[in-house]
Amino acid sequence: MTGPDFEADKALCKDFINNFIDIHGEPKYLNILQDVANRKYCSVDIDLDDLLSNEDLDDGFLERVRMNTRRYVSLFAEAIDDLLPEPTEVFPRDDDHDILMTQRSEENTENSDTADPLQKMPPEIKRFFAVHIKAFSKERTFSIREVKASYIGQLVKISGIITRCMDVKPLMQVGVYTCEECGFEIYQEVTARVFMPLFECPSVRCKTNNSKGNLILQLRASKFLKFQEAKIQELSEHVPKGHIPRTMTVHLRGDLTRKVGPGDLVEISGIFLPIPYVGYRAMRAGLVADTYLEAMSITHFKKRYEDHVLRGDEQEQIDRLAEDGDIYSKLARSLAPEIFGHEDVKKALLLLLVGAPTKKLKDGMKIRGDLHICLMGDPGVAKSQLLKHIINVAPRGVYTTGKGSSGVGLTAAVQRDPVTNEMVLEGGALVLADMGICAIDEFDKMEEADRTAIHEVMEQQTVSIAKAGITTSLNARTSVLAAANPAWGRYNPRRTPAENINLPPALLSRFDLLWLILDRADMDSDLEMARHVIHVHQKLEPPPLGFAPLEPTILRAYISAARKSSPSVPKELTEYIATAYSGIRQEEAKADAPHSYTTVRTLLSILRISMALARLRFADTVGQSDVDEALRLMQMSKFSLYSDEKRQAGLDAISDIYSILRDEAARMSSTDIRYAQALNWISRKGYSEAQLKECLEEYASLNVWQIHPNTFDIRFIDV
Amino acid sequence: MVGPAFDCLANPLGSVRVLFEKAIESGRNPASLSRADFTGEVFRRFLFEEGGLSHVPILDSVNLLGIPPNSLVRFVGMVQDMFDDEYYVGAFKDGSTWRTNKYTDVSSLPMGPSSEMHLWDRRLLYCVPVPGQNSWFKAAFTPINSLRGHSSVVSHQREKRPREPDSMDLEVDGSDPDLALSSHAKKTREEGSSCSQSSEALESNLADCMSSNFDSSSLPCLVKIYDGPDVDIKLNDIFEFIGVFTFDPELVNHNSNHDELSDALCEDVLAHLPPSKVPRLQCIISRRLALLDLISTPLGLQPGQELVKGIREALLQSLTSVLGNDGLAAKYLLLHFLSQIHTRIEPVAVGKLSLNLTGFNKKNMGLFGKSLDNAIQCLLPFSDSIPLSIEYLNTTSLAPKKNYQTNRLVTGALQLAQGTHLTIDETELKAGTLNATGVDNIRILKQFLDFQRVEYEFEYYKVAMDTDVQVLVLSEAKSNILPADLVLPFRPVEVGSYLNASSSELEAWRWYLSTLRSHRYHTIDPAMQKVVQDDMVAARQADRSLGTEELSRWLAMARLMSISYGENSLKPEHWQMVKEMEKLRKERLV
Repeated sequence: MTGPDFEADKALCKDFINNFIDIHGEPKYLNILQDVANRKYCSVDIDLDDLLSNEDLDDGFLERVRMNTRRYVSLFAEAIDDLLPEPTEVFPRDDDHDILMTQRSEENTENSDTADPLQKMPPEIKRFFAVHIKAFSKERTFSIREVKASYIGQLVKISGIITRCMDVKPLMQVGVYTCEECGFEIYQEVTARVFMPLFECPSVRCKTNNSKGNLILQLRASKFLKFQEAKIQELSEHVPKGHIPRTMTVHLRGDLTRKVGPGDLVEISGIFLPIPYVGYRAMRAGLVADTYLEAMSITHFKKRYEDHVLRGDEQEQIDRLAEDGDIYSKLARSLAPEIFGHEDVKKALLLLLVGAPTKKLKDGMKIRGDLHICLMGDPGVAKSQLLKHIINVAPRGVYTTGKGSSGVGLTAAVQRDPVTNEMVLEGGALVLADMGICAIDEFDKMEEADRTAIHEVMEQQTVSIAKAGITTSLNARTSVLAAANPAWGRYNPRRTPAENINLPPALLSRFDLLWLILDRADMDSDLEMARHVIHVHQKLEPPPLGFAPLEPTILRAYISAARKSSPSVPKELTEYIATAYSGIRQEEAKADAPHSYTTVRTLLSILRISMALARLRFADTVGQSDVDEALRLMQMSKFSLYSDEKRQAGLDAISDIYSILRDEAARMSSTDIRYAQALNWISRKGYSEAQLKECLEEYASLNVWQIHPNTFDIRFIDV
Repeated sequence: MVGPAFDCLANPLGSVRVLFEKAIESGRNPASLSRADFTGEVFRRFLFEEGGLSHVPILDSVNLLGIPPNSLVRFVGMVQDMFDDEYYVGAFKDGSTWRTNKYTDVSSLPMGPSSEMHLWDRRLLYCVPVPGQNSWFKAAFTPINSLRGHSSVVSHQREKRPREPDSMDLEVDGSDPDLALSSHAKKTREEGSSCSQSSEALESNLADCMSSNFDSSSLPCLVKIYDGPDVDIKLNDIFEFIGVFTFDPELVNHNSNHDELSDALCEDVLAHLPPSKVPRLQCIISRRLALLDLISTPLGLQPGQELVKGIREALLQSLTSVLGNDGLAAKYLLLHFLSQIHTRIEPVAVGKLSLNLTGFNKKNMGLFGKSLDNAIQCLLPFSDSIPLSIEYLNTTSLAPKKNYQTNRLVTGALQLAQGTHLTIDETELKAGTLNATGVDNIRILKQFLDFQRVEYEFEYYKVAMDTDVQVLVLSEAKSNILPADLVLPFRPVEVGSYLNASSSELEAWRWYLSTLRSHRYHTIDPAMQKVVQDDMVAARQADRSLGTEELSRWLAMARLMSISYGENSLKPEHWQMVKEMEKLRKERLV
C-alpha cells in the first residue's frame, strides 16, 4: 500500500489557490492572501465547497482532504507560505515578532553553511496566519453520539450546546532556546499539549566541542497560540429516549477562541482527533485514548423560522403541497392529529404559526405581525394538549402556566450571577420565546398584576425593565397563545358572555382571536370519546386518523417557507374590508349583550389573519377569499355561543340562513343574489355550504325564491 | 472442535483471542471487526445452552475480592449513568499477526509505538444495584456458592491488592451474609416494637423483609459495552451483564496522582471511580431482565386459574387485615400493586394507577403506615418511600442532575428502576415556605404523577425520562400536590396487623404479583366493548365532569381486575366489580 503523494497534493493545493475564481470572477484566495500579507486577516479559510466546484481537482483529492484533514491543513499552510505575496501596504514594523524575524533572516544568510536541522527555522514560527478547512455547507450535521471511532482524523460537522469553557491560555507552538555556549537559537516544535524542554544544546558546534551548552528558553522569541478548551453537549432533540446526552471536548485555537460561551447553541466543524497520552497515562496510552475536536469553524445557531434551511427534497415536497388546492385544511389537520375534531381551532393555530409580516412605518412605529390567540373553554376539551403540540411544532416555543409564572417570570428579571456576582438580566418566558411562540396555560388563574405585565409584550412586543440600575428594553416578538377556563370553571349559559369570559377588555382586545370551546352534552361526541378510550386500551395504540397527517418536519418546512413571503393588501380590497368592519361594529351596537369588543384592533386582526392566509398560498397579494376566511374564523370562534342563543330564540340554522340572505338582498335592494355571494355571507356567520344548499332547496319548494339549476344563483320571487 | 482453548469461564480472554484469530483467518478485515460481534455466539451457547450461566459468579462486594481478574462474572444492576464513549486500540499488529484488545483494559502484549493499529470505541455504563431492593429479593439473588470454586486464589489476591481502609470494615461486615442478616433483623425488630403494639405477631422471616435501601453490600460497577446498537440499553433499565472482570493493580496506585497539566475540563470521570471500589466488567453478553426473570416460580406451583383465584383471595384477605379490615382499600391496593404502564400514547401513560389513600394523620400513620410499609416490602421486589416535608422538599433534589464538574449524573430520589413501588407520605407536610428547589420539586412531583415522567436536569436543558413506578400517596386529605389517579378515603374499622404469612405463602404471593403484572395480553371482545361503551356514554350523560382520564382509568382498572383473576379477556362480572368499587369510592368521597 503506497501512501498518497503529499508533494503532488501540495502542488495541487498551490494550483487551487492560484487559480480559483469565485462566482464574482475574483481570485478569491489570492485576494485573501494579499489581505493576510497586509496583516488584515490572520486566518485563511479554505472552503470545501470551493474545492468541490473546482473541476481541475479529482474526487480523490477532495476525499483525502476530508479523511486526513490535519495533514492537508499543513499542506495548505506550506503552499500558502510559498505563495504569500509581498505586502502592498506599509505597516509599522515595531512588533517584537517582526524585529526578531528580520534579525533571524539576516543571521540565517550568514550561517547558511551550517546545515544543522535543529537550527533550521520551522515554518510555523514565521507564519502569522492560520489555515482552516471549512466543511461543506450542505453536509449533514452529526449529533455527537454519531461520531464514532471510524471518524477519527476526519472532518466532521457537529451541533450541540456549549456547557463549559476554559479560560483562554497561551499554548506554545514553537519553543525557542538560546545556547549559553554557542549562542545559537534552537527551535523546538510543540505539537502536543505537553512537551519535554530541551536542556542540552544539540548544535553541531556544541556537540563537537562536547561543551554541553545550557539552553535557555526564550519566552519572547517563542511562538504562542491562543488556546481554549470547551465542552460541547448533545442537543436535547438528538438524545434518544432513555439516554444521557453525550459530550465532547473541543479545542479552539487562535482567532476561534472566545467565540463561544456556556449555553450557546453552535455548529462546529472540525477534525476529530485522538489525544496522544504522555507521562503516566502513556502507560495506558496503547489502550485508551481521549478524543477531541479540533475546531475549524464555528457557527452560532439561531432557532428561527427564517433561518430554517431546507434539506434534501423538502423544497420539492413544499412545491407539491402548494400546488395541492386544499393545503390550508391539510396543514391544519396535521397539527395535533391525535386530537379529535376542532378543525377551525387548528386552522386558527396554523395561522398563528404562520403569522403576518411585521410592518414598520416611516415614523418608526411598528405594527405587529404576530397573532395572539386565546382559547377559552370548558375543562377537558384538550386545550392544554393543543398548546403543547403547537410548542412542539414551533421551532422556538416556551410553554408555561399562568399559575406557575409571576409577571417577572414571564417578562424579565434582574439577577445576581452566582459565579461572577454580576447583575445580569435574565429573560423570562416571553423574552425567551422572542421570534417564536409563548404558550400560557391557565391564563385565567394568573394574578391580575402579573397579567398586566403581558400588555406591553402583546402590543409593543418589547419588555422594558428599570431595576437595580439596569434600564433597558428587551425584544419579545412573540405570539401569545393563551388557554383559559371561563370564570366559573365551566361556561355558565345563564350569565352573559362578558361575565363568563371575565378578562379585562384591555387584554381581550389584544387577542386577535378569542376562541370559545364549549363542551356540550352531545351523545355523539361522548360515544366518540368512549370509543377512543376503549381503542387505546384495547389496541395499545392511538386510533387510526382516517388521513395521513403531514410529518412535523414538512409542516415546519412549509411554515418557514410561507413565513418568507410578505403579501400586501391591494387597493380594491380596502373598501371591502372597511364595509365588513363597519358591519361588525353595527351588529355589535344592535345587540344587547355583545360577545366581543370590536375596536380598531379588530380591523388590524382581520388584516393580519388575511395576510397569514395569503402567505399560506405563497401569494403576493391578499385575496378577497382570504378576507372572507378571516371573517369566517372570527365568526366561528364564538359560534358555540351564537348557536346556543339562536336555539333560545327558536331559530334554526335554515331559517337563520334565509333571514341573512333576505336582509342582505334588501340591503342591496336587488332580487338577485349570486351563489358565491350567498356563500360568503353565510360562511361569515359560521354556516356551512351544505346548510346553505338545504336552505335553498327548502325555500325554493315554498316558492320564496327560484334557484338557477346550474349556477345556483338565487332570485327572490316578488310578492 | 471446542477444545481447551474455549474455557469461557476461567479464561474468557483466551477464548476471545482464539475467536479473533479465527475471524481474521476467515478473511475479515480487522478494521471492519470494530463493532462486529465475533464472540457472542460461542459465549451464548456456553451460557444458555450448556448451562454455564449457573457457574458464573455474581459480582458483589462479598466476593469482589475472591474473584480472580480476567475471569467471567455476571452483574445484575440498574443503569444509573452513561459516560461518553471510550476509545481504545481495538486491533493492532504484533509483528505480522493481528491482535485484539477487546474485552480488556490492558494489553496482554506490548505494543510498539509504530505498529499499525485501529481505534475502536466502547460504551461505558455506570451500573448500581437496583435501588430499593427488598431484602427477601436480595437474599434470593445472592448465591453463596459462587465463592467456593475460586477459594484457592483468594489469599493470593488479598496480598496483592491494597484496600481502602474505610471500605475495610464494611466488607468484613458483609462477608458473612448470615451474620449481617440476623443483626439486621434484630435491629428492625426493635424498631418495630417501639412503634407498634402488634410487633409480637412479627415473625422472624418477615423481619428479613424489611429493607434498608443502602447497605454495605451495594456495589456499583462500571460496565464496558462492546457490541450491539446504542439504543438497546436505556437508563434505569435492569440488566444482567456477563463479561470479563478485569482488575489491573498497576493502575490503582496511580489514580491519585492526577497530573497537574490536566485542568478542570479534562476531568477524567474514571479517576473518581477507583477500580478497588468500582470493579470493571468488560461485557460480552447482556440481557434485559423483566420482573418475571427475577422471581422464580415457587416449587410445586402449577399455574392455573383456580390457583390464581385462591392466591388472590388469600392475598386480599391479608391486605384487608393489614388495612384494618377496610376491604375496599385492600381491593384498590391489589389493583394498584398489579398496575404497569403498557404503552404511551403521548402524552398519556396508559395503565398507570396511582393511589392516594386519604385519612392518614400522624396518629394512625404509626398504626397503619408501618404495617403497610412492611406488607409492601414483603410483597414487592423494589420499593422506596419518600417522607414529604417542607424541609425535605427544600433540600433534596428529587430529579437527577448532571454535575458538570465531575461529569456525572447525580442521582435523585426519583431515579428508580422500572416497576419500583414508591410510597409518598404526605402526613409530615406542614404549612411553610418553599424555596426555589422546593417549587421545582413540587413541579417535578406533579409531572411525575401526571405523566409518569421525570425531567432530568442538564442545566442547559431538561431531558424527560419515562418511568414506570407505582405511586402510593398517604395523606390526610386529598393531596393537591400529588394528583393521584385514584383518591380513596381510608376507613379502617380495627387496628391494622402485620402481614401474617408463612414463607411459602409469601413466595406464592410474590410470584402472583410479578407474574400477573407482566401479563400483557388482555382483550375486550366486541360484545363487551359495546357494554363498556354504553356504560361510559351513560355515565358521561349523567355527569358532564367525567373526562377521558376517568374513562381511561375505568378501563385500566377493569383490565387489572380481570388480570387479577388470571383472565385473558374482560368478563362482565369484572366490569361490574369495577363499577361497584367506583360507586363505593364515590360515596366515600362525598
